[in-house]
Amino acid sequence: MIRWLSVKWLGMNSLSLKLMSVALALATLAGQQNPFANLWNDAGKKSGAKPTDAVRYMYPEQVTVTAGKATPVEMHFEVKAGLHINSHVPKTKDMIPTTIAFPADGSVKLDEVEFPAGKDFLLPVAGAPGGGDHLSVYTGEFTVRGMMTATRGEHLVQAKLRYQACDNRACMPPHTIPVVMDVTAR
Amino acid sequence: MRDKNFMVAGLAMVVFVMLAAAGWANWMNRRHIAEMQSQRAMEPMAMGNMAGMGAGGDGAGEMTSPMVGKMAANFTLTDVNGKKVSLSDFKGKAVQLNFWATWCAPCKIETPWLVELEKQYKAKGFEILGVSFDDLDMDDAAKLKSETADIAKSANQLGINYPVLLDGDAISKQYGDPEVFPTSFFVNRQGKIVAATIGLTSKDDLENDIKKALGTGE
Repeated sequence: MIRWLSVKWLGMNSLSLKLMSVALALATLAGQQNPFANLWNDAGKKSGAKPTDAVRYMYPEQVTVTAGKATPVEMHFEVKAGLHINSHVPKTKDMIPTTIAFPADGSVKLDEVEFPAGKDFLLPVAGAPGGGDHLSVYTGEFTVRGMMTATRGEHLVQAKLRYQACDNRACMPPHTIPVVMDVTAR
Repeated sequence: MRDKNFMVAGLAMVVFVMLAAAGWANWMNRRHIAEMQSQRAMEPMAMGNMAGMGAGGDGAGEMTSPMVGKMAANFTLTDVNGKKVSLSDFKGKAVQLNFWATWCAPCKIETPWLVELEKQYKAKGFEILGVSFDDLDMDDAAKLKSETADIAKSANQLGINYPVLLDGDAISKQYGDPEVFPTSFFVNRQGKIVAATIGLTSKDDLENDIKKALGTGE
């Protein structure tokens, strides 16, 4: 109908019509990505995320394994930009290591857990020569690997990742986040 | 017909230019949002549940806390040697309440400065109370003893020569539930909180706040 009206009323040739169509399509797309929309607030409200959630479990949300047989799995996490958490093996005893724990009911187990090696980190602090102790930390994305064994059936697993996060100037108390995944064992 | 085609093509060009401008604005906005997200990710800690930032240095540490201007709540906690210590024991003195933990790397940078400042201003009536926020297993005597020994050892390694009190969580609510460490409250001789630092700040900032508590600073 629109095409008929355009051709009839405006006397457009097909090139002009195509140009106009592309422009209109792009205009629609641009409208969907309103540059003035407050995306951060919307995302924050929807997710219910708190600023103190320094670490996010990314994936997998679903895992399929062979029942009773140890299967390799990789769990991916992300540390918020500007923050770091201690690695699984901190350099000193008083630093709190990152750990993962699966429910003790035994229906889904994770063995041979492998955390990545931490990165060597020194707090960049002016006026404090040396910047204090060297730390072993995770920043950005990191992956925890392990061998998963599950009894036959569907399992909604809620594992727990415990960590202690800091930025260059302050630390938050240790915190635990849920690591939720649907495990199907066939 | 030809004129109309030119007109439509011209209109299409105008739309393209507007879209390019909108796209650029969109990209700039997204970049701004990404920067804000990154900044917010870094700041929750320094911001915690406190109010906005005040002036000072590079902007870190020197914060405006809702606790500033209030009377410091009295409390009694046990120190690492098993001795009961109350804030009211220091009536008439300027006191810095330093909330810290053994797992807090920035606290370890700040502590040697505090040790020096405490020595420097002690004669003028200044005291520091270190309040540890390390977890304690109150129901298990053996674990509690071991945890207390760890805190004492850490304090000793840092050269702390002022009282180190245990179980900061017990007084957390009275001091606005600080979410990050180190956090310090500076209490003047009349028992009023006159300054606060949230997160690691500079030695100069700490000294200025000590002077405020002593009534000799701005």
